[in-house]
Amino acid sequence: MRQAGTFSGILSGGISGRTGPHSLPLARIKKIMKKSGEDVKMISGEAPIVFSKACELFIEELTLRSWMMTLEGKRRTLHKDDVASAVMTTDIFDFLADMVSDSGNGRVIPEAIEEGMVVET
Amino acid sequence: MIHNTGSSPECEGHNYSATAAGTTSGDGEIKAQDRLLPIANVGRIMKQILPPNAKISKEAKETMQECVSEFISFVTAEATDKCQKEKRKTVNGDDVCWALGTLGFDDYAGPLKRYLHKYRELGEKAANSANNNKDSNTDVRDEPSNYRSDQERNQPLALLPLKFNVLEKNNNSNSRPF
Repeated sequence: MRQAGTFSGILSGGISGRTGPHSLPLARIKKIMKKSGEDVKMISGEAPIVFSKACELFIEELTLRSWMMTLEGKRRTLHKDDVASAVMTTDIFDFLADMVSDSGNGRVIPEAIEEGMVVET
Repeated sequence: MIHNTGSSPECEGHNYSATAAGTTSGDGEIKAQDRLLPIANVGRIMKQILPPNAKISKEAKETMQECVSEFISFVTAEATDKCQKEKRKTVNGDDVCWALGTLGFDDYAGPLKRYLHKYRELGEKAANSANNNKDSNTDVRDEPSNYRSDQERNQPLALLPLKFNVLEKNNNSNSRPF
């Protein structure tokens, strides 16, 4: 028997019915967008809004895939390694491969990313 | 000073040093916080999608923070590229949707396009009703089914090829109220 209750979020396709206030701060998203490269000139007001939704979906997908790894290990706590495993086993998350396999403590120094360096911590 | 607001060194936001990160470990740490979405928001989204008995380690949340930022950078770079090629200066919502589709996140692109159109339509309606009272529904970009906000949410996670029956086996009867 399907327990729809727990996963009602999934069945209705995501987080509670919010189209108003966004669950991620738009100003911060815009800041991150600007730092993605030198060529970013102007960003329309709607772009961060689209991203706030896209990031929700991204977090949801990566979290669920990570959770599958947690369950495979017969655990109840989602660990960083589960995220790493999910990244490694999902094609569209290839761009994250270096990030999850790199640092020991999970903190990556921004300047290093921009210069393409690998930082050993 | 004996006025410690919290005994845990991980206390954030209550520190006298008044940095966003709550620590004073140097410029690197502060810049990193600037580049990341708040851990509370990220953690909440993670928690809401998981079963109620699930726990998430702090490290996992931190890793997720960084993955999201990388996701934003990755997609933005692609969208920016397109704008440059087309000699446009402003990255708009459609560019972001396009980039998502190109990079393999086509499952997101569809629902996001509808979300975006709905947002634009609401903006137009608000602007129109503020200016004059006529009902100006001239924008017909949307399909009728998208007026229901439920509809657009049916899509995104339906495509996950995950076996939910595995999860159900371990579930309690509790469901999370939204």
